[in-house]
Amino acid sequence: MAEKTPARLGHDNLGLGVGLRSVHFDHILRTWPDVDWFEIISENYVDSGGRPRYVLQQLAERYAIVMHGVSLSIGSTDPLDLDYLRKLKVLAREVNARWISDHVCWTGVLGRNTHDLLPVPFTEETLRHVVERIRVVQDVLERPFMLENPSSYVTFAGSTMEEHEFISRMAEESGCGLLLDVNNVYVSAFNHDLDPEEFIRSLPHERIVQFHLAGHTNYTTHLIDTHDGHVIDPVWDLYRLAHELTGGVSTLLEWDAKIPPFPVLHDEVLKAKRFLGETLPQAEEESAPEVATGSAPVPHPLHHILPEVE
Amino acid sequence: MKLELDTVQQWFQAVVSHPGGAAEGVAGEEAQRLIRLDRLDRGALEQVVRRSQNLTAEERLSIYANAYWARLLECLGDGFPVLRTALGADVFDSFAFEYLQRYPSRSYTLDRLGERFPQFLDETRPPDAAWPDFLIDLARLEWNLAKVFDGPGAEGQRLLAPADLEGVPPERFAAARLAPVVCLRLLTFRYPVNAYYTAVRHAEEGEEIPYPEPAEERVALHRRDFVVRRSALSRPQHALLEALLAGATVGEAIEAAVFLPEMSTLEDEDLAASLQAWFRFWTAEGFFQALFWNKPW
Repeated sequence: MAEKTPARLGHDNLGLGVGLRSVHFDHILRTWPDVDWFEIISENYVDSGGRPRYVLQQLAERYAIVMHGVSLSIGSTDPLDLDYLRKLKVLAREVNARWISDHVCWTGVLGRNTHDLLPVPFTEETLRHVVERIRVVQDVLERPFMLENPSSYVTFAGSTMEEHEFISRMAEESGCGLLLDVNNVYVSAFNHDLDPEEFIRSLPHERIVQFHLAGHTNYTTHLIDTHDGHVIDPVWDLYRLAHELTGGVSTLLEWDAKIPPFPVLHDEVLKAKRFLGETLPQAEEESAPEVATGSAPVPHPLHHILPEVE
Repeated sequence: MKLELDTVQQWFQAVVSHPGGAAEGVAGEEAQRLIRLDRLDRGALEQVVRRSQNLTAEERLSIYANAYWARLLECLGDGFPVLRTALGADVFDSFAFEYLQRYPSRSYTLDRLGERFPQFLDETRPPDAAWPDFLIDLARLEWNLAKVFDGPGAEGQRLLAPADLEGVPPERFAAARLAPVVCLRLLTFRYPVNAYYTAVRHAEEGEEIPYPEPAEERVALHRRDFVVRRSALSRPQHALLEALLAGATVGEAIEAAVFLPEMSTLEDEDLAASLQAWFRFWTAEGFFQALFWNKPW
């Protein structure tokens, strides 16, 4: 009889972490906040020979680090970028990354990079293609590897299965872990007129190793994953469900635009404690979604570090 | 409609990165070559992309198309903040929009998005006008600042200090070579863009800094304690440093500088004092890693 897959694929529950952003470098180095763990955007560090990498090395001595990328392009029909993979591997070793993650998406073809997380059609062909590439990635990285459900704004007429079925089979067949972005489930379900709870209930829960939480922007007719605000209550409700189904996994808050001071960011993820049988660190804030109007939003991902010049 | 994955992806990329937006992208030559859709049939697009309760297929594709340009324009602008200020956001974006069409990103990192932007400005400059040199040079300065900021550096390593030069006999110093720190870059501009960069950074809110008149400017960039530093250089200083970076001995490098007209009027004593002051300043700034006598580094 096959052995039962352990919860979180046997990986640690690192607790409540936040995404490391360069605007918080000084605060973190000055105060060494009581954060359980940090997630980095891999692309901001793999080539760095300057302050970003130096700060990361210092953090890695005190905190658990997870590497999260946006450029793997696992679903692309272009060849995998082995140079990029090797750089991930080097950095992962340097900071003792607990695992490496990216998204179920593609970022470009014909040698180009749109720097967006583009959706794949959910077909048998795509599934075979992605599973095969995950195996290569796992062989190269030699480190636990997770893929995240992205926010999406279109679905393809040619899809022959739902996203949750695609992701479940992808994880089972390739052996990879899942990074469940609870906000993305909510955003995509709204955009595609689907039930977010069904999505979460359908996944192989023992393969979920990490959660993402974030804010999004409501355009009434659709939602955009902007990572620029508080987590809204319906997303917290989905988080509660995912927490119950998985037994609890490493949870991380992402905030990438209109980034607030570090304590605000940290408090936001600590709100998760109310689902973990712990008391809240502060009074609960109203998190009713605001409806956006006007200027064009820039959906996640937009990650770059600006130079410091005297 | 049964479509291969590579066809769908090439089509999708052509549509969402089309400069005219998603609708023009769908009707465009590249997308039509991949997936021929009847331009008059509004529902044809739904054979590829489904509509939702609230949005048509075209509106949904437009989210990606809008995001493509918004993201890349914002990112490129962030890489050239002073150039964007100099041009104004709209003019900057129109240059950037053209640039991203000619040189779309081909790298896994956004850090290289602006790599060919100065070259693009040069390639598309109007003939017979000097002012584009100002924009090109400013773009070069900002690109180099970013590279020095996050490129390799010498933090944590022992650097040559002014005290290390004291007590070295002049003849022995002339025979030495100086190993520069890996992050040291020398730049020559046709317009004083470094001074302009400083002026913009120190400007009050809403204050407009006039474009400078053309004038040669030379600058050394390097990084100390992870922050980029800019040092203005005279022509002789630049010539001397350039020779040192090329592997010349100190004596050879000094010769490259002292025969320039700016130096020819100096008395020997003043010349020696100047040179001494330069080397003291440069070593205090952390331009050099070590003195060598045996062989070039």
